[in-house]
Amino acid sequence: MAFTPAAIVFSVLTVATYVIANFVYLRFRKTPLNPVITATVALVAILILFDVPYETYMEGGDWVAAFLGPAVVALAVPLYKHRELLQKNLVPIAAGIVAGVIAGLVSGTLFTRWLGFTEELILTVLPKSLTTPVAMQVATTIGGIPSLAAVFVMVAGFTGILLGPYLLQLLNIDSPIGRGIGLGASAHGLGTAKAFEYGPEDASMSSVAMTLAAVLGALLSPLAAWLLL
Amino acid sequence: MKIVRIVLQLLVLYGFLLIGEAIQTLLNLPMPGSIIGFLLLFSALLLKIYPLEWIDAGATFLLSFLSLYFIPATVGVVDYGPLFSGKGVLLLPIVIISTLITMAAAGFASQSIANRSAAQKEES
Repeated sequence: MAFTPAAIVFSVLTVATYVIANFVYLRFRKTPLNPVITATVALVAILILFDVPYETYMEGGDWVAAFLGPAVVALAVPLYKHRELLQKNLVPIAAGIVAGVIAGLVSGTLFTRWLGFTEELILTVLPKSLTTPVAMQVATTIGGIPSLAAVFVMVAGFTGILLGPYLLQLLNIDSPIGRGIGLGASAHGLGTAKAFEYGPEDASMSSVAMTLAAVLGALLSPLAAWLLL
Repeated sequence: MKIVRIVLQLLVLYGFLLIGEAIQTLLNLPMPGSIIGFLLLFSALLLKIYPLEWIDAGATFLLSFLSLYFIPATVGVVDYGPLFSGKGVLLLPIVIISTLITMAAAGFASQSIANRSAAQKEES
């Protein structure tokens, strides 16, 4: 990470865009206005408009992205605060996480393989149900493309928000544990935001599921890549 | 001095990350160092080696802006426009269907096992 003029300009620009995007979201509260989406679109537009290569932008972007690693470590704190909920429902939670993570890794790998995508793209799709910071680091570790992995994580999250409620209803998944674990294990933070609408117990379940799925997904992704490729 | 406490706790989080990354390099593990750091911090909290009050404010502060830190990465999609104008657009339905399979498996497994153990408790 260099301390160049571009680093200062683009890190400040990223933070400022995020602050504005957050403000817009809090003002209108519409799902498609999710700040990650609007901030990304705005920044991409600026880069294209001013003909700035992504590499130059990342001189500043790297400074912002440097917080990802510590943030993943920090996820231990909310999980620890939910330890009683986890202890009380250990077996059903564990069963749901294991089933979900394996189903996600296997289906993602097989579908991309059947359609003949390159190994790099298969490994990029693999961590899509993990929370973004973990998914990106997993993609890096196993040989995928982290920025593209982040895009698929967003697609997974929006699938959870927009289609998840219909699927849950269709399958008669109607308990806080079933809904929360389903949303958190498949659609991470965005799914957890949706779980909040069902109630606080759904939300806690979803938050626990998001973290546990991220950890298990990080452990199993290299294994899945090795077994299925 | 809340701000000093937050900054010190952020440094502790960074310390856990560095230890995690060192372990990853040392043992050549195929998982991110941050996950190892996460597991170390979670264990330290569970075993009461490290008290919650010494990390809570910093972690909560850091996580309240979580989505900011991955925006530089999502902006990277700018380099992959051509991918999505070709065959790559098929990756989107793949991700959508695979996400729904994941949700069905996780939700169904946890709910049915929770119901079964609740029924067993009633019988006994």
